[in-house]
Amino acid sequence: MGLDYKLVLWNKHKKTYDKIIALGMVLYLVLFIALTLAFNPETIAETMIIRAFGSLAVIMLHIILVIGPLSRLNPQFLPILYNRRHLGVSMFLAALIHGVFAIIHFHTLGNVNSIYAVFTSNMDYGSLTNFPFQVLGFLALLILFFMASTSHDFFLKNLSPNVWKGLHMLVYVAYALILLHVFLGAFQQETSVFTIGILVLGFIVISSLHLVAAFKESKVDGFKGEKDTGGWLKVCDVHEIPEDRAKIFSVGKKRVAIFKYDGKLSAIHNVCKHQGGPLGEGKIVDGCVTCPWHGYQYLPHNGQSPPPFTEKVATYELRLDNDMIYINPIGLEEGTEVEPILC
Amino acid sequence: METVITAFLTILALYFGVGLLFGLYFMLLGASKIDSIMRDSKKKVRLLLFPGVVATWPFLLRRLFKSQTAD
Repeated sequence: MGLDYKLVLWNKHKKTYDKIIALGMVLYLVLFIALTLAFNPETIAETMIIRAFGSLAVIMLHIILVIGPLSRLNPQFLPILYNRRHLGVSMFLAALIHGVFAIIHFHTLGNVNSIYAVFTSNMDYGSLTNFPFQVLGFLALLILFFMASTSHDFFLKNLSPNVWKGLHMLVYVAYALILLHVFLGAFQQETSVFTIGILVLGFIVISSLHLVAAFKESKVDGFKGEKDTGGWLKVCDVHEIPEDRAKIFSVGKKRVAIFKYDGKLSAIHNVCKHQGGPLGEGKIVDGCVTCPWHGYQYLPHNGQSPPPFTEKVATYELRLDNDMIYINPIGLEEGTEVEPILC
Repeated sequence: METVITAFLTILALYFGVGLLFGLYFMLLGASKIDSIMRDSKKKVRLLLFPGVVATWPFLLRRLFKSQTAD
């Protein structure tokens, strides 16, 4: 949370993660070059750079794509999720170096514009095996540019969360383009079974984790509690919610988090105003519901961020009956104060 | 196919050309008109945002018009 835009939102933990990212990238590049020199010493420097940064970007993209489902399946992965933005920008830089070197190496010696040459040097668009795979890489890089260049809170606010989220969901289109780019490139240039095998394995891991996480979340969305005569929904026993934590329920097609803290219960909309993080997976810190993604905070009894911040989420009325929690499925206006119920 | 490629790359070039002009306007004047928080932000922040502004100028232009209409 902030009242001013910073160049980069760094704190002690983020700096540590960024150092790990930088160190990991350098180690990979050194290892790649060492292995290439050992097993393929005739490889020229440009080819080595193109392959080293290209494969690094692909590996980083795989890591980025598994962080989301892993953190939904196990909260221990949440700290990695906090740093996904920096990992994404680093991945784009690796992909950019790969792309720029490839364009310089393959397309700058002719008498046509090098970007135009990427699209026209091979016009076999009707062929599956000889398809101009570099075009796919270019389009993927374009998407990654849009994503990396808007990885700042300024854009989240000014593009609107929906547009920003939609733009960043294009990562899956970029992933598909990159898979095809590498598959076709590997088929056409080296027929490497190893490269294709790793990509297939990566695809299986990514899609399996997404499916498992979606299945887990569908249980929440499929919740159908009993309604009492007043239309209030019976959700759970009060003892099912741990202290300073929440339980998430699907109420009236919206996810609601019911928090237990200081002998009280409060319910707020589960979606953080910042990046749509799941508030119910966070905990109460200093009396505030704290989003597990980026630490945005809300007061549990009114859904308002503590002053001077201005974010607000909807609140819900609760009732306790023989240790059983009931919720009014009709949410209140964002920021409406609701007296917490004692438990 | 060449016609499609030429049309696509021309549109892309025009998009980023206009984006560059809008990005310059953003750097010099527009940033604080789009978002009042930018008034106190450092020049380095505007420079960091520049590529994203070039990329997303239609959305920011719409926001600029909206903020001017609200004024």
